[in-house]
Amino acid sequence: MGSAEWEQPTLQERRRELRGRIGRFQRHWMDFGPALLYMLPALALIAAFTYIPFLRAIYLSFFVVNRNTFQPSHFMGLTYYLRVLNIGDSPFGDIYLRSLLTTAVFTLMVVPLSIVAAVGLALLAQAKLRKIGIFRTIFTMTVTISIASASVIWSLIYSPNVGLFRGLLGVLHLNSTSILTDSHTALAAVALTTIWTSLGFNFVIALAGLQTIPKDLYESAMIDGAGHWRTFRRVTVPMLGPTLLFLLVIATIACLQAFTQFKVLIDSVGPDRSTAVFVYTIFDAFWMQNDYGFASAMSVVLFLVVLGLTISQLRLDRKVHYQ
Amino acid sequence: MRHAQRAKAGLYALLTLVSLAVLFPLLFSLSISFQGDTVAPRLLPDLGKLDLGVFGDVFRKEHNLPRWILNSFVVAALVTAGQVVISALAAYPLALLRFPGRTFFFFLFLGSLMIPWESTVIPNYLAIASLHWKDSYQGLIVPFLASGFGIFLLRQSYRTLPKELYEAAALEGCGRTRYLFTFLFPLSRPALATLAIYCFLSTWNQYYWPLLIIDNPVWRTGQVGITAFRSTEIASFNLQMAANLVVMAPTIALLIVGQKQFVRGLTAGALKG
Repeated sequence: MGSAEWEQPTLQERRRELRGRIGRFQRHWMDFGPALLYMLPALALIAAFTYIPFLRAIYLSFFVVNRNTFQPSHFMGLTYYLRVLNIGDSPFGDIYLRSLLTTAVFTLMVVPLSIVAAVGLALLAQAKLRKIGIFRTIFTMTVTISIASASVIWSLIYSPNVGLFRGLLGVLHLNSTSILTDSHTALAAVALTTIWTSLGFNFVIALAGLQTIPKDLYESAMIDGAGHWRTFRRVTVPMLGPTLLFLLVIATIACLQAFTQFKVLIDSVGPDRSTAVFVYTIFDAFWMQNDYGFASAMSVVLFLVVLGLTISQLRLDRKVHYQ
Repeated sequence: MRHAQRAKAGLYALLTLVSLAVLFPLLFSLSISFQGDTVAPRLLPDLGKLDLGVFGDVFRKEHNLPRWILNSFVVAALVTAGQVVISALAAYPLALLRFPGRTFFFFLFLGSLMIPWESTVIPNYLAIASLHWKDSYQGLIVPFLASGFGIFLLRQSYRTLPKELYEAAALEGCGRTRYLFTFLFPLSRPALATLAIYCFLSTWNQYYWPLLIIDNPVWRTGQVGITAFRSTEIASFNLQMAANLVVMAPTIALLIVGQKQFVRGLTAGALKG
């Protein structure tokens, strides 16, 4: 028998292979039904409360929506999007563009400080001491505290009756009675509350990141005679890259979506609209003006901003990991 | 030796100082709740006349407070139970079964994480209002019963189990559903606990959605309750802080009891990015 005949499958073998293929094909489709069944509750709920409402928000953003029937009535085209971007004649001027800017300023106030504070706490919590667990629990504490509860506490800290911040207003030569009612300080006050509330979460992530850094890197740095600061800059910071990027993105997205602290602490667009961040402005159009179409357009804009950030994170992530 | 000990003492002092700074808002609110009904609270209470009855008073002054806490418990517990079961079921075929369209379904679930809740809130509100689900448990619970995050987390956990286990069980005649209940659920208990704690915490702390769909004070959750109570006439500073501490207590207790799962839950969230 030649080797060529070996390679040529016999009829029987061919049949067996074909049957195998059909079998596999059938097996795959046999699993399809049960797989769908297992996923059905999740599929139905995610369709009903995420995808369909999202598509509906896009649809409504092109219409005037009736306040009573909740049905779209007049087609508006891109009017609402142009209003957000202040293109063409808008009776609202640039208040929506400014609210995007306010959100950006708020984000810049919160994110860098939050991350620096969290990494600082994490470095401290790495100390090899007895009972360090207690300190770790304390640093994690604010993760359990809701933004609403935190805002109730801070509204008291900021209260003119307590007067903890009265001195600050004097130093800044401001005449307001409370730092929450002065257009120069209100946004920063909300930012401080936000930093405190997010401290626990950021700390947990930073500590987990620090703990993944291999110990021998520190040992070799020590052998090379690198000091604390040098080791921190040359070993800790680069190795913490992915964690820092993650924190940066999560904290930024959380700031873009910030609402509760503004609702509880300020409960309006703030002095001179100085605390009118984007999601609060959506709430205002939706809840106060019942302008469902316009509010939908703004929520689509919010989606696009968050999507843009997520995509740039994925891009950056590759860079940070391949360093 | 001396030097090392001094460094240690210094580190403890620093840790204590930083801890006090981090805890300051909490300690301050505790201090104020003990100061009695005053319009000008001070940093520290007068230790001679501590008003320890404030936690009883707050329940007497705000009759709805127990109901708000009950509402939060019912909603958080049912959302957690629902999310764990529904995610555990949906993650199973995505991790272990081979069927056409598996990648499509996986990305369908993953993609839902890209849509911020705030972008869907208006149509969701309109739908819940049309269903007459305002002021009801179903209105507070049903929209949160499934999450792409939970499915993703459990899929990852199922995939860490050896594939041979599944094959061996199949050879022994263990059916698909039985495999799920006798092997997957018990073996992935840590991941399920992680998801449960994460989910309970985030539901307990929800604010925006219950604010929208609750009109009747009886149906408020703890979070909406305390912020509403704050702006009532009877809410003096000490009562505000006491009510706030009462609503915060369960989640702080959860941290102290289940810190390990807690930390795992949060860092698992970190992997999703």
